[in-house]
Amino acid sequence: MALRVLGLNLIKNNINLLQNACRINATSTTQAPYCNQVTVHAAPAAVQKQKVSKAMKAYLERARENDEFMKTQDLDFQIGKRHLANMMGADPETFTQQDIDDAISYLFPSGLFDKRARPAMKSPDEVFPARKAAEFDETGRPFHSMFYTGKPNFFQLLHDIVEETNKLYDLEERMLRRGNKPDENQKIEMAGFQMLPKDQLEVKLVETIADIEYSNFVSSMERLIASPFSYKSKNFIERYLKPLIDQSKQLEVPKPKIDEQGRQYITTYECLRKTARADVTVRMPGTGKININGKDISYFDVEQCREQLLFPLQFSGLLGKVDVEANVAGGGSSGQSGAIRWGIAMSLRSFVDQEMIESMRLAGLLTRDYRRRERKKFGQEGARRKYTWKKR
Amino acid sequence: MKMFRKHVGSISRISTQLQRGPPTVGSIAGLSTEAEAAPKQERVDEKITEFRTAITNPGGHSPLQIAKFYTIPAEEKKRIFGGGGLPKQYELQIKTFTEACLMVRSPALELLQYIKQADLSKPVVRYVLYGENGVGKSLTMAHVLHYGALHDFLLVHVPWAPNWMKRPKETANATGQEGFIDLPFDAAAWLVHFKTQNAQLLQKLQLKTSKDYVWSKRESTPTGSLLTELVEHGIARIKYASETIAAVISELKQLSTAGQCKVMVAIDGFNAFFHPETRIFSDNKQRVTPDRITLTQPFLNITNYDWTNGVCILSVDKIAMTEGYMESYMPRYLLGKDGFEHLDPFVPVHVDNYTDKEFTNYISYYVDRFWITKTAPDLEDQLKFMSNKNPYTLMQLVRGL
Amino acid sequence: MLKRALIYGKFRTNGIYGSFENGTRWSRLMSMYPPHYAEPIFKKDSQNMEKYELAKLSHVPIKAALNSSSDTIFNAELKQKMLAYIVKCGNSRLARELLTKTFEQIKRAQIERKHLVKQDNGHAICIDAEKLLIQAIENSRPLLQLSSIKRGGVKYQVPVPLTSKKSYFYAMKWILDAAKEKDRKISLSSKLAWEILDAAHGQGRVIKKKNDLHRLCENNRAYAHYRWS
Repeated sequence: MALRVLGLNLIKNNINLLQNACRINATSTTQAPYCNQVTVHAAPAAVQKQKVSKAMKAYLERARENDEFMKTQDLDFQIGKRHLANMMGADPETFTQQDIDDAISYLFPSGLFDKRARPAMKSPDEVFPARKAAEFDETGRPFHSMFYTGKPNFFQLLHDIVEETNKLYDLEERMLRRGNKPDENQKIEMAGFQMLPKDQLEVKLVETIADIEYSNFVSSMERLIASPFSYKSKNFIERYLKPLIDQSKQLEVPKPKIDEQGRQYITTYECLRKTARADVTVRMPGTGKININGKDISYFDVEQCREQLLFPLQFSGLLGKVDVEANVAGGGSSGQSGAIRWGIAMSLRSFVDQEMIESMRLAGLLTRDYRRRERKKFGQEGARRKYTWKKR
Repeated sequence: MKMFRKHVGSISRISTQLQRGPPTVGSIAGLSTEAEAAPKQERVDEKITEFRTAITNPGGHSPLQIAKFYTIPAEEKKRIFGGGGLPKQYELQIKTFTEACLMVRSPALELLQYIKQADLSKPVVRYVLYGENGVGKSLTMAHVLHYGALHDFLLVHVPWAPNWMKRPKETANATGQEGFIDLPFDAAAWLVHFKTQNAQLLQKLQLKTSKDYVWSKRESTPTGSLLTELVEHGIARIKYASETIAAVISELKQLSTAGQCKVMVAIDGFNAFFHPETRIFSDNKQRVTPDRITLTQPFLNITNYDWTNGVCILSVDKIAMTEGYMESYMPRYLLGKDGFEHLDPFVPVHVDNYTDKEFTNYISYYVDRFWITKTAPDLEDQLKFMSNKNPYTLMQLVRGL
Repeated sequence: MLKRALIYGKFRTNGIYGSFENGTRWSRLMSMYPPHYAEPIFKKDSQNMEKYELAKLSHVPIKAALNSSSDTIFNAELKQKMLAYIVKCGNSRLARELLTKTFEQIKRAQIERKHLVKQDNGHAICIDAEKLLIQAIENSRPLLQLSSIKRGGVKYQVPVPLTSKKSYFYAMKWILDAAKEKDRKISLSSKLAWEILDAAHGQGRVIKKKNDLHRLCENNRAYAHYRWS
């Protein structure tokens, strides 16, 4: 009977079921909000007496098994954690995941390159992928109204967006009639955020999405945000925005130290460029002296290299006001001068205001140039150059 | 008034220079008179520009003119430096700027002071200019040469000695001495240069030879003939040019010791005469050492201290060496053991990079002559940084601006 | 794709210098920036952009400035482009030397002219070599080019507009080619100097080439619609 009710889609849904079996996940509801508890007993007593199909039974059985499996795994993990804490001589109560990681890397040192291949002990939530809870009850009746779309969570989300948008349109109309304008100060700042990327959205919804569908989502969200009263739906929108890190504030600006002569100085170590390694000291009340490996700027006889050293000093306006000392080794003249340039720029941050730091960052002075020589590939003459193509 | 303050500021430097040089009463007295004369001079200078001075005679240059440019009149420049003496790039610059301007710098003034105060009756003092590459040794020598030319010195000037060692126009086996190599064309060219430089003076002084010189069976120059004739003989008969030079030089030594003339010897790149090798090959395809070249002999001769009434200015240079990379610019290193023993004792004169004031003035000069076309608020600071105040580097950098 | 573009991670060293040789054994080294990195704006003047554009960039990582770019008096955009076209076999030092010598020649020629014309109007003669270079390139930029389009079995030469990037490229290429063509005994810097001076004053082979091209395009106006038909 259930089969006839559901029609041909049942087979397809069965396959879905196999993929999306349910499990109890009482501990981490925030991670996958679309996972619910199995409600085997949710159906009224009257329905319970109806005949349950074999497929349904198998599904429920599997779901229950999975739940138990997860429970046991969780238990194992907790016990294992306490054992590990005891082994390491730490307090089992306050043994965090970070401590676990450190302990495992100490006990099982691995030289494998890929960190994901190394021995690890993680909570079962992280190890086993999040799966959807029961999507329909034992009678076969789906809980979600959009179950038959195949991606109920995603389409529910799109519906929500449209609802919010409509609400905002109505609000706008009412406000216009009253002559009220939207509050400019509360406008949502999109500058520091980007839309949740596709893979993260998939994790959130516990569903796979096609690219077209994702782009639909993005365009609907953008329309929602573009609405003048979008700040009213700020909570809803913020769930799907990912903050971008503010680049210039990412790196902390160190405080200058004071040396024996009472001058402020900053040393930047590990200045790299290609194969050159340098460390640069900049002293603040200075006269524009340069000292590279004991020599002055005539260490570089190429004009371009000297220009590179001049660049950050001239850009920040501290040309005759600081002294620079650098020790550099390795690489060629271009690499060495690039390393020292980065070192000077990073050290100058401490003597310059935030606006200038941002300016230097935009000029590309503060980025570590981590490019290395690309390797030669077989079948080609160089890294990119191919052998001459001969027709015969 | 601003300029006068600047002049007064440089007087402190004058005192340190005086301490270095042999102190005489005259110079200290001169200082006070110079200070009094400063206001007059200042007015004259103001008429031209801050970085120029109207005094074209190096004899009139004093520490007040440091970091200023003075113009060498065109005929004098042609006469003195016709055969070389100013670096090639500098010649080009003179052509472009349509004037031959030299900056008055402290090493040159130091040298001039020594020369002015020198007791010429004593044996010849050798002054050796030394410094890093491109720091202004040749131009300092040019400055002093100009002074010598205007003050009745007979100039014995070798513009760039390494040219003979590295790029001789032609080599020939010496006729007089066995195993020696002659450089006929170069010798003749030098004689022409000597003649042009000293034509007037030779005419005036009417110097006569004291010995017979027999060149071959048919040719000889008898005693009592004019020095000019000897020189012309060398120019005409290129085969005997090198020997003529030897003759001329020995004559000059005798004549100056006798008091008939003052001689100023100026040799640029003197350490080329003491380098272990040259680029000249002998008949059996082997490199020749400088002491096997006839031209070195007379100039080594004249840089001895066995004559009086003269002044010897030499310069040692890293790039004067034929091959190889020289680590140090110090005279002892560049001259080697033989050279040092030959020249010992000598007065070393260090030529250094520009001072701040000289640098500023040079930039103003370039801007004035339209050579620097860029305008930026920190143009000077950037150039100072990039060039490290080295004159040559500055010149190279400014080419493209 | 073998050109793996990793976001740079922490670089591991055993000591400060000298141990990098172990690191080069790792094959996954970055040779290109990840695609979301933005180009640096190394000239201070160009950084005076609108606020919202700056705000956009404040959350985007910026590539490191190249070794050839700086905000000093020695660097100019078109000059750097020209340098890039002069470079042969990666010898950028020589290219820079050549261009400097070229500028030197230009300046000498112009100063000579200025001294000759002193009485009339010495101000009209521009001595700034960079400005003359820019002027030369602007003067010799083609606006259209002929592209061969096949319609109905016949190949027609159709005038087609050029993007500004391409037109600058052609201008510089033609100037360099004209300079390389001449007598081998004269140095490239002298030849290039004369080409630039000619082009800056609207004369010379490069201008002629550009005008010829424009004339051809004008002649083939009739086929212009073949671009779309």
